[in-house]
Amino acid sequence: MDIIYFEELFFTLAFIIYIIASVGFFVFLVSSKEKVGKFAVLASTIGFVIHTLAMILRIIESGRLPFSNQFEFANSFTWAIVLCYLVIHYIYKFTAVGGFVMPLAFLMMGYASMLPKTIKPLMPALQSRWLTIHVGTAIISYGSFAVAAGLSLMYVINEKKKDGGKKSGHLPDVEVCDYLSYRVIAFGYLMLTLVIVTGAIWAKKAWARYWGWDPKETWSLITWIIYSTYLHLRFNRGWKGKTAAWFSIIGFLCVIFTFIGVNVLLPGLHSYR
Amino acid sequence: MIKKIGKFIIGFRFAIILFIVIAIYSIIGTVIPQGATKDFYLHNYEGFGNIILLLQFNRVYSSIIYRTILFLFLVNITGCTIKLLPSQIARMKDDYFQAPSKNAENIWDEKYDTEEFRNILQKKGFKIYNTEKGYKAAKNRIGVLGPSVTHLGIIIILLGSFIGNVFAYEGFVNLLPGESTTFAEQGFILKLDDFYLGFRDDGSTEQYYSELRIIEEGKEVEKKKIWVNNPLKYKGINFYQSSYGWISDLSIKDKEGNLLEKTRLRNNEYFFYQPNHLTVYLYGFYPNFAIDHSGQPVSMNEQKNHPHYAVVLYEFNNYVDSFITSPGEPIYYEDLEISFEDSTLYTGITYRRDFGYYFVLIGCLFMFLGLFLSFYFYPRFIIVDEETILPATKQNLWGYTMQLKNLLSSTIKQ
Ligand code: HEM
Repeated sequence: MDIIYFEELFFTLAFIIYIIASVGFFVFLVSSKEKVGKFAVLASTIGFVIHTLAMILRIIESGRLPFSNQFEFANSFTWAIVLCYLVIHYIYKFTAVGGFVMPLAFLMMGYASMLPKTIKPLMPALQSRWLTIHVGTAIISYGSFAVAAGLSLMYVINEKKKDGGKKSGHLPDVEVCDYLSYRVIAFGYLMLTLVIVTGAIWAKKAWARYWGWDPKETWSLITWIIYSTYLHLRFNRGWKGKTAAWFSIIGFLCVIFTFIGVNVLLPGLHSYR
Repeated sequence: MIKKIGKFIIGFRFAIILFIVIAIYSIIGTVIPQGATKDFYLHNYEGFGNIILLLQFNRVYSSIIYRTILFLFLVNITGCTIKLLPSQIARMKDDYFQAPSKNAENIWDEKYDTEEFRNILQKKGFKIYNTEKGYKAAKNRIGVLGPSVTHLGIIIILLGSFIGNVFAYEGFVNLLPGESTTFAEQGFILKLDDFYLGFRDDGSTEQYYSELRIIEEGKEVEKKKIWVNNPLKYKGINFYQSSYGWISDLSIKDKEGNLLEKTRLRNNEYFFYQPNHLTVYLYGFYPNFAIDHSGQPVSMNEQKNHPHYAVVLYEFNNYVDSFITSPGEPIYYEDLEISFEDSTLYTGITYRRDFGYYFVLIGCLFMFLGLFLSFYFYPRFIIVDEETILPATKQNLWGYTMQLKNLLSSTIKQ
């Protein structure tokens, strides 16, 4: 039995557990049974631990961080989504958030599982210590945006229910969803800024120019502008609630496009596949 | 009227409009292929071709329109920042105190010890001001500058890159080992001593190495082995390992073996042999030749384990035949023997000098600092009175209220 075998086993296990957690959260949302919610959180945590083990095994096997092809990015991205969710959960104890974030995680992992998993050595352009900072901040930033989008979705649904008259007990207060998604976006935005800056520094080293309108660069700028708009409207116009929530969801769609769409549809220097 | 327009230009609404316009324009630049020929757009986009050319969508990022938008953005952000600065500075002074907003929650409860709370606030870095019936406190007043510092960073980035681009100096050169190129203006010569690839055990390429030497007034002043991600810097110019290729010797002989012509071709280059009106096209050199599943010649890696050439011949621009040959193996055509051999690697070096980069770096630093101030050092105020504890802050009222509740809970009276 070699390391790869266990890595794949753990990967699959984590995937299954994430699905179970997502189903658990769904049941919790419709039935509002506290126990089911607790179970779903526990499942997410266990899944995360196993996922982390799978990542560590891969790091041992390849001798570097798992940041070098689309499978590894998607896998790390999933890991970061769950990480951000668990951090938010253990600080604020909003079980329901999981119902909106864990499905995103397992979808992303499903995408990862369809990609070739072979461990290949790093191509020359990627052999740089900037890879760690650049992609490390990228997955954390994207994980935060995913959680923010989950919170915003929750806000929108919650808002609809409130209009219908009965307020559901197990979804956290709309106010809280709204504020929390804003704070999470602020953090993700700070990280995204770092991604772009470290990218520019690296691009200067690897490609001779710090900015060249490569599709990935451009789309990261577009994502950055969308969240900038969000933050400005929020600061200066007191934009809150539904409009802000929709903006955060659109922002996340943009993130997903930068992550998957650009690699598939708009090849450039950045599309390592 | 002019005043109104001026106000609009440096206003918030215009900033949002510009954000959206920049985003849309940038998206167009990633969807429509950039920098192709006019005919390409006219053919592929039919009626829209003219519109694309008119609006310069064929080269979005270097178009006058895009530059104008960015310039307007620069004016907007600069004006807006200057406009807001005096009021922000005023808010940093002690005599300013933010009023609680309408939806601020009164977090007072009789179980809390407000005197104890005052000590805790002081320890947490709040500045305390006594009032008639209680006290008020403030912290992180400096954070009010966050947005302005961020804007300053962006202004520096934009200006730095604009001006940097005007003075940027760049180019590209292909060199074979032993060759050199002269930088007359700067008064030095760049010489390539050697170029080679590093391989892994599985034969794949691990790295590209160029051994460079700088010679100034006949003397060697700098020597460095560069590779991707590790450029050489001299007199402000950076030299980057950016590409490579194969160059091969072509010989054309007659039946008796007399050399008629000898030249060197890179992949995808032609040679026209006048006497026979023959064009020899080197489609490619494949150091480790194979045929892929779609029938195309490919090289499994860059090691010369199984070298082959793909060659196409044309006469009077008409296709004659195509061949796969190994080094030195002749192609017979009419009374000629055509062969390729001795392929060597050449390097591609990009060089660039751009002082704008340093401004961009400084700008990024400001931008990051500003964002950090805005999000995590925002000004916090609190008013403690008879039966009231009111938090006041512009941002993140909810999170701040929660922090204060936590602090308060440690002051519960026995
Ligand atoms: C101005 C320059 C750059 C910008 C703005 C930039 C932006 C980004 C962004 C936003 C991501 C997020 C991940 C994603 O969406 O997939 C990313 C990922 C990545 N970047 Fe960059 N980057 C820059 C330069 C570079 C350079 C120079 C390299 C390496 C030679 C590089 C390598 C990568 C890799 C390997 C990933 C993860 C791959 C992926 O997801 O496709 N980037 N970059």
